[in-house]
Amino acid sequence: MSTASSSAQVTEAIVVGVLALQGAFAEHIAILSRLPSQPKVVPRAVKTKDDLIQCRALIIPGGESTTIALLARLAGLLEPLREWVRSGNPTWGTCAGAILLAEAVEGTKAGGQELLGGMNVRIARNGYGSQVESFEAPLDIDGLRDPEKLFPGVFIRAPVVLSIQHPPMRPKPYILARVAADLVPVGSSDYLPDPTDDPTDPQDDRTVVALRQGRCMLTTFHPELTKDTRFHEYFIKEVVCA
Amino acid sequence: MQVKSGLAQMLKGGVIMDVVNAEQARIAEEAGACAVMALERVPADIRAEGGVSRMSDPKMIKEIIEAVTIPVMAKVRIGHFVEAQILQAVGVDYIDESEVLTPADEQHHINKHNFKVPFVCGARDLGEALRRIAEGAAFIRTKGEAGTGNVVEAVRHERAVMADIRRASAMSDEELYAFAKELQAPFHLLKETARLKRLPVVNFAAGGIATPADAALMMQLGCDGVFVGSGIFKSGNPAKRARAIVQSVTHFNNPKLLAEISEDLGEPMVGLNIEPTLAGGHFAKRGL
Repeated sequence: MSTASSSAQVTEAIVVGVLALQGAFAEHIAILSRLPSQPKVVPRAVKTKDDLIQCRALIIPGGESTTIALLARLAGLLEPLREWVRSGNPTWGTCAGAILLAEAVEGTKAGGQELLGGMNVRIARNGYGSQVESFEAPLDIDGLRDPEKLFPGVFIRAPVVLSIQHPPMRPKPYILARVAADLVPVGSSDYLPDPTDDPTDPQDDRTVVALRQGRCMLTTFHPELTKDTRFHEYFIKEVVCA
Repeated sequence: MQVKSGLAQMLKGGVIMDVVNAEQARIAEEAGACAVMALERVPADIRAEGGVSRMSDPKMIKEIIEAVTIPVMAKVRIGHFVEAQILQAVGVDYIDESEVLTPADEQHHINKHNFKVPFVCGARDLGEALRRIAEGAAFIRTKGEAGTGNVVEAVRHERAVMADIRRASAMSDEELYAFAKELQAPFHLLKETARLKRLPVVNFAAGGIATPADAALMMQLGCDGVFVGSGIFKSGNPAKRARAIVQSVTHFNNPKLLAEISEDLGEPMVGLNIEPTLAGGHFAKRGL
């Protein structure tokens, strides 16, 4: 990380958009506003296409993915967002945002739901069950500052990554963090089958809770609900500026 | 607590709609509701029909949980901790300890720390809000006056909360001790509120919201989102009105868009004036 110097001061600030249709967007904006990193990060709430084109990167927050997708369509943002992701702009989805970045989703409302795509994963909405199954778990995340300090993972009606694909011509998916295999809710629904399957395989795709593919990143947990800014620093440094 | 209040944070900028069956729950989900409140009678009917109003039949709540993918909330009577134990066992995502139902205890609220499922509670002012948070509420809403289609009480309550927060945020510690006594609120929560310049949990509007303009008004007054009870399914075109209110909460600061959204929504619910003879009584005075 560069220190503030005359050269850093002339570096243009990075405008990071946070999709502000519904959900925990204010929390992301609050963390982005107090990142210690240089160059300076300027958060921007994105509600329209005009907001989006001002941004160099985008965070899609937690919330209800059905609500966010509907509001995106009504605001004329659905296609611009798909184009944004297709064009390889840096994009990070947390929880509902992770669902929207998936190429396929299970456990949708009747009639299915609209997605942005961008990451070659199949994901299950609300995979762990109702709110009483929400939990916190310390995570060992590859590449964060102070790696010896575990990251507080807050999982709220969280989605479960069911499988990760690597089609030809697509960037290789890169796993950043997993939860312990015994937390994976196998047998809880049609798309999380195999109650007889041994769920203790620590390399099972279903243990993945943070993933990168090209300039897209997803987390099924909520770094924006903690006081720990390291995941946002990682996004700026490794995904946006890399 | 982070996990309990975290779900409320995910609901921010959204609309939570009262529904009485699976079909209405599906309409609400399609219209963009971020959660539904499952109950047997909407507040307007509770008000009109009178009698004792209780927790809904778990069978009906389960049907709604089956029908939608968004979070499902349900109401218990103030102080009725066994109704809350039952709803937790049913697997609802949030419990509303609500003045809209007939109170079961005129002295005590539920000790909400004892539950894994999070609670939302109503409040008319800062003291009430902080007392509920002290009891373990992870989410606060204005009480307003449910089932009236009249936003005046929700405005009164939100303005009261925000005015007291602004006063508190300019106070010294000595003044905060005295203010905590006046509000009958725990000092540590008042101090935290003064530091944050907002409630330490998510704060929604509820009780009388009937139009997109009502919803945007509450957002501009500082609410994080909106509950709509009778206002949707007691109106002429529920699906259209529901979608319009959802959009108005996202674009609450954009009058041009609000004008488009408000067009041609059909009849709103019938409104009632807040007067001493209000049918069904004043729910907001229950459980202070």
